[in-house]
Amino acid sequence: MSSEPLLQVRNLTTQFFTEEGTVRAVDGISFDVYEGEIAGIVGESGAGKSVAAQSIVRLVEEPGEIVDGEVYFKGEPIVEFEEDDDGDLAPTDAMLTNEEMRRNIRGREIAIIFQDPMESLNPVYTVGGQLREFIEINREVGTSEAKAIAVDMLREVGIPDPESRYDEYPHQFSGGMRQRVLIAMALACEPSLIIADEPTTALDVTVEAQILELVDELQEKYGTSFIWVTHDMGVVAEICDRVNVMYLGEVVEQAEVDDLFHDSHHPYTEALLASLPRPDQTVEELNPIEGVMPEAINPPSGCRFHPRCPEAREVCARIHPDNRDVSEAGERTHRAACFRNDAFDVGYDESPPLEMTAGSGFSAGLTGETDAEAESGGEAE
Amino acid sequence: MGIGRYTIRRILQTIPVLVGIVTITFFLTDAIPGDPVQIMLGPSPSARDIELVRAKYGLDKPLWVRYINYLADVSPIWLWPKATFPFVELQTGVDLGKSIYYSVPVTQKIMERLPVTLLLVASAFVFAIVTAIPLGVLSAKRRNKPTDHVARVVSLIGVSTPSFWIGLMLIIVFAYHLDVLPATGLILPWANPAEVSGAENRIHILMLSFIHLIMPTITLGTLQMAAITRIERSSMLENLSEEYVRLARAYGVRERTILRKHAFRPAQLPIITIIGLNLTAALGGSVLTEVVFNINGMGRLIITAINNQDYPLVMGTTIYYGMVFVIGVIVTDISYAYIDPRVSYGEAEA
Repeated sequence: MSSEPLLQVRNLTTQFFTEEGTVRAVDGISFDVYEGEIAGIVGESGAGKSVAAQSIVRLVEEPGEIVDGEVYFKGEPIVEFEEDDDGDLAPTDAMLTNEEMRRNIRGREIAIIFQDPMESLNPVYTVGGQLREFIEINREVGTSEAKAIAVDMLREVGIPDPESRYDEYPHQFSGGMRQRVLIAMALACEPSLIIADEPTTALDVTVEAQILELVDELQEKYGTSFIWVTHDMGVVAEICDRVNVMYLGEVVEQAEVDDLFHDSHHPYTEALLASLPRPDQTVEELNPIEGVMPEAINPPSGCRFHPRCPEAREVCARIHPDNRDVSEAGERTHRAACFRNDAFDVGYDESPPLEMTAGSGFSAGLTGETDAEAESGGEAE
Repeated sequence: MGIGRYTIRRILQTIPVLVGIVTITFFLTDAIPGDPVQIMLGPSPSARDIELVRAKYGLDKPLWVRYINYLADVSPIWLWPKATFPFVELQTGVDLGKSIYYSVPVTQKIMERLPVTLLLVASAFVFAIVTAIPLGVLSAKRRNKPTDHVARVVSLIGVSTPSFWIGLMLIIVFAYHLDVLPATGLILPWANPAEVSGAENRIHILMLSFIHLIMPTITLGTLQMAAITRIERSSMLENLSEEYVRLARAYGVRERTILRKHAFRPAQLPIITIIGLNLTAALGGSVLTEVVFNINGMGRLIITAINNQDYPLVMGTTIYYGMVFVIGVIVTDISYAYIDPRVSYGEAEA
């Protein structure tokens, strides 16, 4: 692992300007991705994971807009803001233009795998044709060479008889096969970084396991870095090297995967881990996180997780914790945004505990949703 | 299943449809109140005249015999029973009978009027498609910008204005006040120069034909143009927000290529449906446009046939219309299969 990160994200802020108000979907997140590693972004639905992923390649759609922060890829400013003469934030002149993004970054350096393999392929063109087109654009090779690369790549991702399947249409492929095609597409363009936005969420678990295994194998072979966006801690454990836990637009904890699982420093991460079913333990009931995530239009004051946090104290509702290094001397970097850690000195220990507003009767407390709605809402996506 | 087999299957499926059309039209025509013979012979004809005319057109036979005879006549192939070996007699060819009103074969009458309608409809649809598709795409591309608003207002006016009114207005302005375009008639571009007044050679004919076509084309084509523009716009918008368009963007495909290729082709399915159906309907005769511009096309032929209770002509024109409709639907379906591979292959998969 080289010392200079491949991708540096600093204080990235993306907002959606809707009629109801400004949605702070991604609210000042920072993380690094190093060469050859798989960085995870994990969190509930609506935490801003996908928007964060789209912001990195500047593909946020209307009415969303990146309003602040920096994203450097191999030192190139993908996103860079500075204050202009009026004191307003504006993109710098050095920031890559849309044309430069399209020509030099998208596909060529950073490729994306979307969540829904059923919708990601164009139904009226052959699978091979689509692969070939993207390879031609991003690798500057001729048509026949691009076709050869495409066929090789299809074989590489485990599609049987790639020569004949090359000419078939997306509807002739199963969901798992289509996701393999999309992985082939990403790898065939030989990018340095692949952003996988919940690529296995739409697949059933057996296919998911196969895809994860495939990605692990190919990642080792090609040395490509990944950003793996998921809501599934199990997936994180399986393939990620480092993890960024997102909650309501913020990164609340980031650490190496082992550290995160064995020594989590944020109650939200603990709660996510506690909610996982484990094969080695028989439990009567799963242990869900109480309540639902509030909306990002009006996030709670102080720590955004405090209304659902079993360990919230009065101070948590008042002061907003930043994400700081909480590792002890000699340990690997481990950042968390929770006052429980000694790195913070805001008087957490003296502060009186908060009554949890998100108890079993949270229907009256948080959003006014009924239990059933909240549950189904939590499971969706 | 390949596109060839798909086509053949669709064509075979039309046989029962056509038989159905012939049957229903035959009995419905017969059920129309009134009597063509009486219309033909005028008030108080002699009983002998009536009988003669009836016998001449085969109207004296029982209904079911006339039906079987008619079916045999219009079928390209028919087998009559025969007393001697091989016990059947082959009858080939299509015969739609003879018009009572015009006293010429129905086929001849249709062949005379059909080119006029074909020319008019082709011209109107070429005008509509050539203007509407770019307009719709542009409208979608510049969504909620001035171009889009203008295009939407124009197409809204287009779909809500009756075509005959547009025709009359065009005549008043361009034929009556400005006197730059002819108000009536149509000259076929393949007409003989010797038979057209004011024309000496082919160039003249083509120019005359073009000038005569302008107003009817706009009259008939405006509605189509407006309808196609609206659907093109919404279909393009829908496709531009599809995941595969986002994927193409994420792989650095040019916005122009996305518009022309990735979003455009899947967006054409609803366009094909509407063009297919409207074109088919227009081929049955654009009665209003033909009446306003005094053009002798299929539409006016059908009206004449019905007004005079000309049984063979009503039957003939209806069968023609049914044929056109069936062919139109097949062509639409096949173009669908051509554009969207899921149609021809995907019977098992949705």
